[in-house]
This record gives sequence, structure tokens and C-alpha cells, in this order.
Amino acid sequence: MDVTFSVNGERVRLDVEPRHTLADTLREDCGLTGTHLGCEHGVCGACTILVDGEPVRACLMFAVQADGSSITTVEGLAGEDGQLHPLQEAFVAHHGLQCGFCTPGMLLSALHLLDTDPDPGRTKIREEMSGNICRCTGYQGIVDAVDAAAAALRAEEPGDLGS
Amino acid sequence: MKGSVMKGSLGTSVRRKEDQRLVTGHGRYVGDLQLPRMRHVAFQRSPHGHARITGVNAVAALAAGHRVFTGADFAHVVLRAQSALPSYVETDQPVLAHEKVRFAGEPVAAVVAADRYRAEDGLELVEVDYEPLPSTVCAWDPPRESLHAGAPDNVLLERTFDAGSVDDAFAAAAVVVERELVTNRHAGNPMECRVGAALWNASDRKLTFWSGTQVPHIVRNMIAELLDLPEGSVRVIAPDVGGGFGVKAVLYPEDVALCMIAMRMPGTPVKWVEDRVEHLAAATHARDHRYLIKAGFAPDGALMALQADVTCNVGAYSVYPWTAGLEPLMAGGLLSGPYRLDNYRCTVRGVATNTAPSGPYRGVARPASVFAMESVLDAGARELGLSGVEIRRRNLIRPQDIPYKMPSRLVDDSGHYDECLTKALDLLGYDEIRAEQERRRSAGPSGAGEPPIGIGFACYNELTGLGRAASAGPRMPFRTGHDACTVRVNPDGRVTVFSGVTSQGQGLETTMAQIVADGLGVGYDDVEVRTGDTDESLWGFGAFSSRQAVIGGGAAHRTATAVQEKVLALAAGLLEANPADLRIEHGQIGVVGEPKPRISLAEVARVAYLESNRLPEGIEPGLEATRFYDPIRGAFAAGAQVAAIEVHRATGELRILKYVCVEDAGHVMHPQIVDGQIAGSIAQGIGGALYEHLVYDDDGNLSTGTLLDYLMPTSAEVPDLVIGHVSHPAANPLGVRGVGEGGTLGPNAVLAGAVADALGIEITTLPITPATVWTELQ
Repeated sequence: MDVTFSVNGERVRLDVEPRHTLADTLREDCGLTGTHLGCEHGVCGACTILVDGEPVRACLMFAVQADGSSITTVEGLAGEDGQLHPLQEAFVAHHGLQCGFCTPGMLLSALHLLDTDPDPGRTKIREEMSGNICRCTGYQGIVDAVDAAAAALRAEEPGDLGS
Repeated sequence: MKGSVMKGSLGTSVRRKEDQRLVTGHGRYVGDLQLPRMRHVAFQRSPHGHARITGVNAVAALAAGHRVFTGADFAHVVLRAQSALPSYVETDQPVLAHEKVRFAGEPVAAVVAADRYRAEDGLELVEVDYEPLPSTVCAWDPPRESLHAGAPDNVLLERTFDAGSVDDAFAAAAVVVERELVTNRHAGNPMECRVGAALWNASDRKLTFWSGTQVPHIVRNMIAELLDLPEGSVRVIAPDVGGGFGVKAVLYPEDVALCMIAMRMPGTPVKWVEDRVEHLAAATHARDHRYLIKAGFAPDGALMALQADVTCNVGAYSVYPWTAGLEPLMAGGLLSGPYRLDNYRCTVRGVATNTAPSGPYRGVARPASVFAMESVLDAGARELGLSGVEIRRRNLIRPQDIPYKMPSRLVDDSGHYDECLTKALDLLGYDEIRAEQERRRSAGPSGAGEPPIGIGFACYNELTGLGRAASAGPRMPFRTGHDACTVRVNPDGRVTVFSGVTSQGQGLETTMAQIVADGLGVGYDDVEVRTGDTDESLWGFGAFSSRQAVIGGGAAHRTATAVQEKVLALAAGLLEANPADLRIEHGQIGVVGEPKPRISLAEVARVAYLESNRLPEGIEPGLEATRFYDPIRGAFAAGAQVAAIEVHRATGELRILKYVCVEDAGHVMHPQIVDGQIAGSIAQGIGGALYEHLVYDDDGNLSTGTLLDYLMPTSAEVPDLVIGHVSHPAANPLGVRGVGEGGTLGPNAVLAGAVADALGIEITTLPITPATVWTELQ
């Protein structure tokens, strides 16, 4: 089936089998292997991406369902010049990753969290990030990183919150 | 240099070299690998815990155009873990099961197709007929039908540790406590499941195997032996690996099958990416133990005797290559932990059952054995009217006892347990929490008002960085005491390190670069580290036993020092100076005492490779060295964990108020990475203590086969952790002690002890679920 969507701002047109998941399509047809598969049954959150700004499990969605939508994956976070997004920078600075396998999903979940609440605080970060499993860090570095990124983003855009 | 001393990178949290690619989605995991004409493999797995295979019919799958492999195709190869221990019974683990299957999830056939979807279509066309046999899933129940002809009672290994005179000591003890304790089967469960890709180049007769493994050199050695290939013709590549925790330190039948399939399909790369359901069913499990344990104490709390009978469920096969002795021997060797003890008798056994094989999992056996030891200490303290702190202090190995020969004859080189415990109590705010506990107790009748508070403790000794004298283990045909490292200064003066270590998140690219930068005298940013490719690094046993900082790090340091010697010798010749007067810092070589450097490493390297006309007499071209390191013995890492919890009587739910861990990591090379290792391992320990449980029904079906049933802790369950350090350098070149596993050792004991302290109920079966607590309270 023909499907058209945009990924990280680039328009993609593909002929995909209806049964192919969006995660497999991104990884295999678009070459965007940053979206990882940890369970393929919607629990671990490693494959979290944003579809039209909302976080989804790319393993639970068929590629054909993404027709016409706008997708953000981890590859779309850094600037074109390679400048890391403040969230990526915070994950590096606060040791929010070890093996890096859950990291793309963590980053996208955190991006959505900070888009909807610029100042969530540690308790809410822990609740909101609980849909993504990390086996390495014990979460401390991740919570620190999201908290720090929230502060960095607030400092970047004073008075522009929620607009 | 401006006369100032350049600060080295060791001891600072330099930016991890791994992170740039990992946070941008450009990691290189085996699952990401796409090669021209690549084909995908799916495995048919046994739906039975125990059954005879009476027929395999692949006609329909073949007719549909799939490549199909069944047990008969690979029957000439078996995985047989070897040990020289007297009672040990070897098991033959088939590549693909034939004759019979021994656990649900065991691979019986493989289908190769253009993509995974089609490969799974093909599986539906492969018919396997089974005649079910009775399954045995509990290692301490009588076997219903033996698994292996060589072990009619399913016992694959049994050994008794015996020291002193246990019977006399019990007779003299003031208090004897006796418990039956059962720990829960759970698993390492890294976020990246197992994965492999293989390519056979028939014209060169060379095999390349990309594998998400912790042990690429061991894999190369074993694959070459199993497939009868020259070892130099096998290349194993472990690029970025998404967590391991021991699960990926095993060579699996699926790995061997992939390589054998590749050899049957020359020039066609074949890839298998395990899914989570396969992983929970067929990757190794761990910690399924029963302890019948008895301890005798003097009136002052001194531990007089310890006796135990430990049964470990080792699953369907003796895990390759670690053997069924892995967990039992670790449990028996370290049961008495950091406590002084003369009289010890402990029989350990590994029993086969119709469950997935048990293998190494971070902390091997000790999360269970520490729980058993700490449980009897707490029980003894209660009977003697002592506090948990008092009975531990009374028995801990002290600095003046070092070296301390444990009753299992392991030699403990750390005596800083009390220091760890004392610091942990301080960080917890022990006195204040005890006061709050008392206030709540006296505030109202039990069951009303605020939930009761409890405090739990665990002290442990983590055996890390085992050299040849200590790595005896189950007497396997190899000794894992050493690693190699090669350091090459390139013609531009920058450095490439080929290290035998492997990383699954531990940041070893970073740590090795720090060690080499400081050891050689160059900047951290000028060092590139390559790991995980057996064609690049000479040798490394890989990631297990918290060994790599000590052993791989020691090798990196030795090698960097050797290269520095040659650099200075060459520079001395060029400068007509005495090498002893020269010093290199940040890639600049100068004479000690002079403010300005004389020559750069880049210039020296240029001479070494490109201007042999300038080479001093007697110096060979090139700037490279390779060295091994073996610490001979090991480095014990002391640790203590304490926590305060509250428990809700109505629901049985437990909430961690504060969790503290203090460890002796020796010199801390990268504070963030070290704390990250400790935090991550405590989180895994908390998962095992409270949530994670692999449950089989009586017929051998895994009833917790997805992450909806197998509960892993999330950011909502794991609290902020307080991590402290005492730093007593170990006797190795960098003064380091391993930190990879220690954190997992405490949580079972700490949380069970805290529940007992809060409610006065003893937890004897793990995990500690709300249902367990609630039931005990009724």
C-alpha cells in the first residue's frame, strides 16, 4: 500500500505491506535505526516516537496508519549543524544513559512531557517517564537529566511558555 | 604546560565517548545492521516443557520457498559445558532440539526468509509432533521424569564445603535459628534482546559473526571449536550492545544455529533479532534457589556456626560454557559473606528442571545468598535482643583481620565493612528514623494511623576482578584472569586503543581512554578506543565478575606505560637528553624543571613512522605496544546497604522512604559511571526483591511470558538512591575495585529485613509482593 508521511520534516512516500509496523518501516525502509524495539508488545517504550506531536509506541502502530501524519524520531532532535537538543545535552551531562538502547524512547517521552509541562518537577517526571523502561541507570540520571533540561529550556524561552 | 601540573582525566567525570552517537540515534547495534541480500531467521520453539519429538515435517514450508533447518541438520554439534569437579554431570545441549525437548521455548527449527514477517509465516508451515512427558519445574520436588540420561535424579552437581567443627559449635551456641528460604526466579532482561548476524565467505572460508555478546573472544573460541574452523578464520564483532547483565555472557544454541545456517548459505548474511517473548522464555534465567539454613550464636551475638543446604534450579541444561556449577558454587563459596566464621558446613547442588537454563546474572547467586545470611542474622538478633546493627558489627571482618581466609578458603582483602555500614547509617539518618519509627508505634493502636516504618540492612563482600588464582570457579577448561590491550600512537600523534574489554553500557570506551590518556601522557580527546571486534583486539575474556575495570583497566595502564617508555626513549634520542629527565603531558614532551616543552608527541610519532632517517640508534620504527594484565588474586569490594520503608497494613504495599548504599570502589576513575553502575544494580535488585518473578506452571509453561506479566521496575518504583563511598585502593595498578554487580546484592535482604522490622513478620519467600505481606499479616 502507498503511504505518505513526513519524518523529521522530510516527506517520505513508500509502498509498504499493510502488516508492517511503523517501527519496522522507520528502521528498515527509512534507515532510521534510532527507533529501537525492546518488547514489540507496547510495554517497554523503547520505540516511542511522536506522531503529530503525540507520543506513540511505534511497535503498536502499522505504517499505513501513519499516512498523512508528521513523525518525529530521535534523529530529528539535534539541529542540522549537529547541535544537540537541550534534552540530549542533559542526558549526556547527567549520565542519563548507559547502553543507550532505551534512550531514544526516553528522549521522545521527555520531549512530549516538557512540551506539555515546562516545569514538571521530579515527582511528575518519575510518573510521566514510567512508561519507558530502562534496565541500566536505575533512573536517577534520567530524572536528573529531564529536570535539568526543563530548566535549560525554560531559560531559553522566557515568557514564551505554552504558546 | 606553563610550569603547572596538568590535571589527568582519571577521577573526573569526563564526557562519555559513547554518548554522542547514542543520544542522536546513531548507535550501532547488531539489530541495526543491514547488509546486501540479508535474510532473516525465525525459530520454531517447543510449546512443551518436556516432550519426545516424534516427527518433523517441513515439506509445506519448503514448498512455499523457505529455507528450513531442523534438529537433524545440526545434530552433529552439541554444546557441552565442561568442569573438572568430581560430581559434575555434563549435558548435551542441541543446536536445534531433536529426540526430545527439555523446556518450553527450546528452539526446534529455523526458517530463513526475506524478512522476519515471512520467516514467521514459514514457521507456521513447519509441523513438529510431540509426545508430552511429565515436567518437573521445581528443583526441590522429586523429579517426575529425568531430563538427562546421565543424571537420573536430575542433580548435575553437588559439593560440600566443610570447615571447623559445626556440630560442636552448635552444641555450644546460646541460640540456634533455622529457616527455609526461597528466592524467586528472575532474569537480567536487558532492553535489547539477544541478536546476531552471520556471514560465511566460502571462498576464503571465513565466518563473520556480529553478536550482541559480552564475551566476543570466548564466542570466537567456542564457535571455532564447535564448527571445526581455524580460530583465525572466525571474526566476532560486538558493536554497541544494549545491556547484558550476564544474560549475554552465554553462547546460546541460537548463536551456533545462525553460524551454521550462514555456512549452509554462503555469501548470504543471515540475521536473527530476538523478540521479548522469546527472550523471557529462552534466554537464561537465574536466582531460583532454596536455602535450608541454620546458624548458631553466642550470647553476645558472635556467629559460631553456619550450616546450609542450598538447591539451585539450573534449568534444562548446564549453561554453556559456565556450567551448572555457576550459581551453586558461588552460593556456597560466599554464603558467609563479610562475617567472621570458623565453623561452616554447606552442601550446594545444581538440579536440572524443565525450565530455561540458568545462567550468569549480575551478582550471580549472591542476591539470594546474602538474603539467606542476613535473614539468619536478623533472626538471631531478635532472639538475643540485639539490634540489627549490633549483631552485624559483632561479626564483620575487620581491617586487622585482613587478609581474611573465609571458611570456603576465599581470601578477603577488604576489611572496611563496618566503615561502609557506619557511613550508610549516617547517610540514612538512622537515629532520626528510629525516633520516627518509635513515635508512630506509640502514636496509636496497630493498624490505625500512619503506616509503620521499618529499617533493613545488608552487608556484603563482592568478589571482583578475579585473577588466575581466584577465577577457579567450577573448574572450567579456561582461566579468566587476564585481558590484553594494544595502544598505538598513530603517525599524527593521536592514539588508538584496541582493548580486550567489551561494553554493554558500562562506558568502557571512556574509562579505557582515561586510563591510556593519563598513562601515556596525552589528552583524553586524542584517544580513540576500539572494543568488541576480535580482529582488532588481541584478547579479552569480556564482561562478567566485575572484572573489566580491574583487569582490562590494568592491561590498558600497563600498555600505556610501555608506549610512554618508547616515546621518551625516542624523544631522548632526538633531543640528546636522558629519557629519565623527560616527561610527557598532554602530548608535549619536555625536560623536568623546564617551563616549555621541547617536542610534541606528534613530531616523535612522525619520526617513528615516516622519518626513519632521524630514528635514534637501536630504536625500531612504530609506536605501539601490547600488554596483558592478570591480578592473580581478586579485589573484594566491601558494601553496605540500608533502607527505611513504610508498609500499608491494609494493602500490604511497601514504600521505600530512603535507600542508601555505601561501597568501597577503591580509586574511583569516573565518578558518574561508578555511581551509575551502583544505582543501576540497586534498581535491578529492587526489581528482583519486589516485582520480577518468572513463574512456571506444573507442566512447564511460563506464565509470565511478556512484560505485562513480568514486571520490571520503572521510574515510578525506584526511588532516588543515596550513594556513598569509602575509597581504599586495591593492590592493582590503578587501585580499583569492581563495582558492576555489588548493588544487586543488598535489596532482597534490606527490604525483607525492613518489612520484618516494621511489622514483625518474617519474609521467607521472595518476591515481597503486597499479597505476600498482606497474607502474612492476616
